[in-house]
Amino acid sequence: MLGFVSRRVMTMVPTIFLVSIVTFLIIQLPPGDYLDTLAAELSETGGLDEGTRRALEAQYGLGQPIWVQYWKWITGIALAGDFGISFEKNLPVNDLIWDRLGWTFAISLLTLLFIWMVALPIGIYSAVRKYSMGDYVATFFGFVGLAVPNFLLALVMMYVAFKYFGQSVGGLVSPEFIGEPWGRAKIVDLLAHIWMPIVVVGTSGAAALIRIMRANLLDELYRPYVVTARAKGMSEFQLLMRYPVRVALNPFISTIGWILPSLVSGEIIVAVVMNLPTTGPLLLRALLVQDMYLAGSLIFLVSILTVIGTLISDLLLAWIDPRIRYQ
Amino acid sequence: MRMHSRTMRRLAGSVATLCLIATGAVAQGYAEAPMLAEKASSGELPPIEERLPTEPMVLETLDSIGEYGGTLRRAILGGGDQHNMVRLISNENLLRWSPDWSEVLPNIAESYEVSDDATTFTFRVREGMRWSDGAPFGVDDIMFWYEVFLDERLTPSKHPNYVGASGPVEVTKIDDATVEFRFGEANGLFLQNLAYGFGYYVVNYPRHYLSQFHADHNADVQALVDAEPAASDWVQLFNLKAGPMHTPLFWQNADRPTLHPWHIVEGYGATQRMVAERNPYYWKVDSEGNQLPYIDRVTWDQVEDPEAILLKAFNGEIDYMARHIGRPANLAALTDNQERGQYGFYGVGDIGSTQAGLMLNLNNPDPVKNEIVNNFDFRRALSHAVDRQEIIDLVYLGVGHPVQTAPHPSAPFYKEEWATQHTEFDPDLANELLDGIGLDQRDDDGYRLGPDGERFTLIFLVADVFGFQYPDVMELVAGYAEDVGLDVQIRASDRSRLQEIASAGEHDAYIWNCGGGLSDAYTNPYCYVPTGDAVYWAPKWAAWGVDPATGEEPPEQIKELFAAYDAVTQTADPQEQRAALETLIDKATGQLLTIGLMQSDGAFGIARNNLRNYPDPMPIAGQLWTPAPYTAQYYFEGGANLD
Repeated sequence: MLGFVSRRVMTMVPTIFLVSIVTFLIIQLPPGDYLDTLAAELSETGGLDEGTRRALEAQYGLGQPIWVQYWKWITGIALAGDFGISFEKNLPVNDLIWDRLGWTFAISLLTLLFIWMVALPIGIYSAVRKYSMGDYVATFFGFVGLAVPNFLLALVMMYVAFKYFGQSVGGLVSPEFIGEPWGRAKIVDLLAHIWMPIVVVGTSGAAALIRIMRANLLDELYRPYVVTARAKGMSEFQLLMRYPVRVALNPFISTIGWILPSLVSGEIIVAVVMNLPTTGPLLLRALLVQDMYLAGSLIFLVSILTVIGTLISDLLLAWIDPRIRYQ
Repeated sequence: MRMHSRTMRRLAGSVATLCLIATGAVAQGYAEAPMLAEKASSGELPPIEERLPTEPMVLETLDSIGEYGGTLRRAILGGGDQHNMVRLISNENLLRWSPDWSEVLPNIAESYEVSDDATTFTFRVREGMRWSDGAPFGVDDIMFWYEVFLDERLTPSKHPNYVGASGPVEVTKIDDATVEFRFGEANGLFLQNLAYGFGYYVVNYPRHYLSQFHADHNADVQALVDAEPAASDWVQLFNLKAGPMHTPLFWQNADRPTLHPWHIVEGYGATQRMVAERNPYYWKVDSEGNQLPYIDRVTWDQVEDPEAILLKAFNGEIDYMARHIGRPANLAALTDNQERGQYGFYGVGDIGSTQAGLMLNLNNPDPVKNEIVNNFDFRRALSHAVDRQEIIDLVYLGVGHPVQTAPHPSAPFYKEEWATQHTEFDPDLANELLDGIGLDQRDDDGYRLGPDGERFTLIFLVADVFGFQYPDVMELVAGYAEDVGLDVQIRASDRSRLQEIASAGEHDAYIWNCGGGLSDAYTNPYCYVPTGDAVYWAPKWAAWGVDPATGEEPPEQIKELFAAYDAVTQTADPQEQRAALETLIDKATGQLLTIGLMQSDGAFGIARNNLRNYPDPMPIAGQLWTPAPYTAQYYFEGGANLD
């Protein structure tokens, strides 16, 4: 086991290294750089004069060849944990991302829990009561949630909350709590706001899991061991939970690894619409203006998440399913 | 004795008079905001008389004398939106524009003189004026700016406002309160330029704060360089700390002293909410001696998407905003929620010479296209082929009027024939003109062939900017062009890419708006004559205009335009300037250099029901950074926000 883990960790390092190179190159692909974007934005009000432009170019090291810029960045991360400077905000990337990463994790994990809490029971019910009214209704809502774009759902929810409940939408807390220390009132306000992004992102993810759960469980439900257990007098509920469901959980566990990054990127548009303080809007803005160290660092961190997540999901799978063992 | 008593009476009389004068002087004291009065009495701040200059500037209030208190709440986008702050709380230059944009008035400068030949400008600044940290402001700070301006290491290229044909302006300190600007030749528009946004340079460099980042003034500057992660030498450190006010850099340094009515507390981009607190040393008072500003604090809540600002407005969380939301498309929703949000509307004179104009590249590198687009009849034909009224009705919901690229009816120098010539929708005339210039052959699809026998195609670049719905307008224009046999291709692009291509002159055409619809035509006539560095419809002629050794020599009628504009800049007499400007616009509009489509009659903004003293309508232009400096006299009736 230890050998397995250490071998996987050793292959993780070159993978992450390669991902960082690809990320950096892709961000540099659009012609021009951050200063062109700044000049375009300022052109309405008189433009970026040559003097400022050249000074900024020297400051950000934008005139240098791409491998020099990459090398400076990657050595900064590896040796000093320094992710570089954000050109647009003139702050170290470190100052900008950790707060937001915290919120991103929190919302993504809560969404994951929500998805599981919704998808598992509905999937089990759909399989056990196959082709019943409940099955059709649950499946219908699942597919509607999958088909409707996240941002549209977000907008409708925000509108309903605003119009009929008088809530202050736009942000995770109401304006009177911004900058205030965490107290009971603020936490209650947070809960009143946070359920919206969780439900929006969660409904689309839930549909897929419902169908997968249903299909896997149907495979298991007509196996001989189930018939045996029933014949031996086990209650329906007990025999369902202890055997077929545990087997059907297999694909859930194995996909944990990449569900977290997909949640992180899936919530970008929702975060922009709902004005959440997560990494999504930060990344979007950084990509639009070619703020390359900020964008590169965020993508780098998300790819580290993926790799670590895959490792964790492999370990979990091996633990849960005795049939899987490293040869 | 009688002699004694008479003298005594006289003495008593003069003492009494002196006492009256003394109490009169004391009673002519200034009032300050309660939050500052507290700090002054506890000793944290000097008393009001010491904080104000000897003769503070009296800012006339637009409606009424105000009450202290309240927080002005707005919203700001996560990045690139520093003009949200620049236009609200800064724009304090030596001179200012009057609230209706009709004349230049003194601001930081108490008075000024102009020599008869318009080469020398002398300004007198107020004595006793202070920066926001209490340090004194004087001509030394202007000289420090001048030192930085001339320094090749810090300013490798100089802002055109301060450079004449013979070189940069010469600034001399006459005494602690008087400074002289001298140009080598007449610079008739210098005062206007100082009042516009970019006049900020001169008074934005506090010597006492910035000299520590300058190697010539601080031998230990390297220690500061090492402490700053974003700088690796003193030049970079200086540029970081002394960033230009119209870029995000300025707003990320909260330590830098300013002369603005409110001072930012934290850097832009670092927090969810930007806060600017009252500047206790602000140097303006109202006509009753109350120190301005009335409003205690300004806050901006950060949002990611402009639509979120609309929601905040509906919810009553915005006190004064036109930026991002003042578009006709939002008017219906904003009106529906007026009661809930407790706000009203005011007019914003956001009027260019055209809101959507077709800019053909008159310096097209392709010789076939170059010859055709430079043909006046071709441009005339394209102009007649477009149904402007239909565009206005379909895309702009009927708001606006059809127009050529010309001044707006409210401009003092407006002439109707400039705005209406060549604007009739007449596809038959267009067809006739196009046949007449040699494009009469058509291919099998009905598109006209160029002189080389190939289908004549124009590729238009379109970026969806400003909320003006250019992609929709272009679709309609392409349809009209097809009706007369012209092949117009649309290439969607993002803004910075479009400007990159256009500034290199590699495009066929693009669609954009044009300034110069009102008084900004004097300083920003870039759609009437190819001057300046944003001239994408003739970039090579613009380069020639700056330096005849570069670019491409323009034909005679364009040279006439340059000469006409020179006549505007070389005189300081407003009458002569206006006559010269009218000559210029007359010649320019006659040539149809850009094909204007429509012009709006202004946008709008929302203001909370208890906000007072804001200008309505509010003039605004690319270089006119309103509502500042008049925000200092806004106030909330009742001294607090509505709830």
